[in-house]
Amino acid sequence: MGYAAARGGLSAIKSAEDLVRRLRDDDPSQTLDTDQFTGRLRLLVDRVMGEAGLWAPELAAMAIRQAEGDNIEAVHLLRAYKSTLPRIAVAKVIDADEIVAERRVVPAFRKPGGPQLLGRSTDYTARMLDPRHDATVSQSRSTIDSDLHTNGSEQTPSAPTMTRMSQVLRDMHLLVDRRRADDPDPFDITRMPARPPAPRSARLSTMARAETGALIGQWYRNILGPDGYLHEVTLGEVRHGSLPLVAQHPVTGGDVKFGEIRVTEVEAIEDLNGVEEDRGSFDVGYGMCLGHNERKAIAMANLDIACHRDGSRSSLEQSILMTTDGLDSAGFLEHLKLPHYVTFRSMIERKVAVRRARGQV
Amino acid sequence: MTTTVRRLADATRDLPFALLDEESKREIRRALLQAVATPGYQVPFGSREMPVARGWGSGGLQISLAIVGRNDVVKVIDQGDDEGVNAVNLRRLITTSTGTEESTEVDESTLIQSRHRIPEDAMGEDHILVLQVPVPEPLRGIERDMKELARMHAEADYSKMWVSLYEDKVRNGVITQTTGYPCLVAGRYVTATTPIPRWDIPRLHHSEFLTLFGAGREKRVYAIPPHTDVEPLTFEDVPFEVESADGARCKLCGSTESFLVETPGETSSWSCSDTAWCRRRRLA
Repeated sequence: MGYAAARGGLSAIKSAEDLVRRLRDDDPSQTLDTDQFTGRLRLLVDRVMGEAGLWAPELAAMAIRQAEGDNIEAVHLLRAYKSTLPRIAVAKVIDADEIVAERRVVPAFRKPGGPQLLGRSTDYTARMLDPRHDATVSQSRSTIDSDLHTNGSEQTPSAPTMTRMSQVLRDMHLLVDRRRADDPDPFDITRMPARPPAPRSARLSTMARAETGALIGQWYRNILGPDGYLHEVTLGEVRHGSLPLVAQHPVTGGDVKFGEIRVTEVEAIEDLNGVEEDRGSFDVGYGMCLGHNERKAIAMANLDIACHRDGSRSSLEQSILMTTDGLDSAGFLEHLKLPHYVTFRSMIERKVAVRRARGQV
Repeated sequence: MTTTVRRLADATRDLPFALLDEESKREIRRALLQAVATPGYQVPFGSREMPVARGWGSGGLQISLAIVGRNDVVKVIDQGDDEGVNAVNLRRLITTSTGTEESTEVDESTLIQSRHRIPEDAMGEDHILVLQVPVPEPLRGIERDMKELARMHAEADYSKMWVSLYEDKVRNGVITQTTGYPCLVAGRYVTATTPIPRWDIPRLHHSEFLTLFGAGREKRVYAIPPHTDVEPLTFEDVPFEVESADGARCKLCGSTESFLVETPGETSSWSCSDTAWCRRRRLA
């Protein structure tokens, strides 16, 4: 077919792609292997997987490398890749109590059922830039290895030893009972767009995939910004650990474990103080996201309970559902760079029309 | 099982025809059928993440990929220009993932994806026009709450829209809505006509061709089927106005009957926004 025009646009695009590829891949420094990302930039890989809604550490590492560390771009690469894959099976429901915890913090009680497990955290590390980092690594490695080894059994308590704080409150008759008798399928935000009013599962899935900064921003906007739809919670559980993935085998019908994911899980205890609420009880908000991302899971749990208490009276649910996805917001923001000659021409024409109507032209 | 999962996740495997997996394409086609059956109604669909960013034509691209066949000939324009960088990028995604032919000529094309314009050339029943939509909700400027917006459309309660047009006229002497002018489609739904200029709106009324609108970020598709009433919202005594400029004439082809864009500072500063149309007039 005829394509008469000069192909200037295409060659400009190809040159831009070539510049990006060459300047990245030909950098004189050592090339980065994916295991360097998964091993040394674990939190970045986790964040990208969480925001992509795809557990694939190696692919996430490839995406971060290709995106030159731009996490939203990396999330985009992963999600666009996922769009090319058929959905072949659905995993069985995971019981979060089967978690093998690497970390567990219970701010609400000094001695919860099961351990307080500080684990791998910089929470109480002085934030001092350490210029000797590389030099000290090899010396300290052997001690860390032996520490990990000796404490290994205590470091990974599995769930039955950890009593969930919501359960503790329930046993004390201090928790509003919101458990429901039916068991509806969760709202699948990848197959149906969620708009208010939406079921809780839609809000939770949206927040689990949300851009971390957007969720924190949403939370803090409600603390100090113009929206006061949220009330600070007391955290009952902050957990990070592994959960097994099980599916039914298509031939044998038996359960098959086909992998593991790591998640961060948070329970946020809310002091009910509204006029129509049970002042004698607590309620609990829930947060869970892929990977180790405590900030996100905490914001999520607090926004979850805030949204429930709000009962669709404010704009909070719409803000959560519609404004926290990193690909939506970043894509739309950046589309402003596209040519807008036609729309701008139409705007100028109306400006002139207004001035003519006023007798100014 | 682990091996199977690994093989499925292999990033080096061949990509499917038209990028998306078959189930996704079928789902989009089902949404499009509903859209055609309810002209102007915004049909929710499970918008997929595409290799282009949301806001960059991801909705139009999903429609094109869901309906493109091996015998289609694809034309893609941005601002009326086949050679705009985003048009080039979307066209190569469609053609390289399907092997379909491409053209800049409307009469050679069957599937035309566009941002912000309808081609000047006449299109017939063999054409499908896919428009990329940044904001599918025509009422968002007057109402922010999505539950209320859903109610307004459901009850065809467009009173706020009429009040806003009236206030605009009273305050400014003219209706100042620029592109994406709100239209009543098939006498039922007020619909955002993407940001196409008002110049293009009459082309949608009782058209011979099917127009499909894709808003990927907002996860909505809608349609204006052939031979459908498309009435720009205005008052009996306030005629709908398309863009015009005194004495404007294309510096390349001399046209006064096409949508012209301006390059400020040049003496003869106007040129056709539809570059393929303009070029053919010069060659004729």
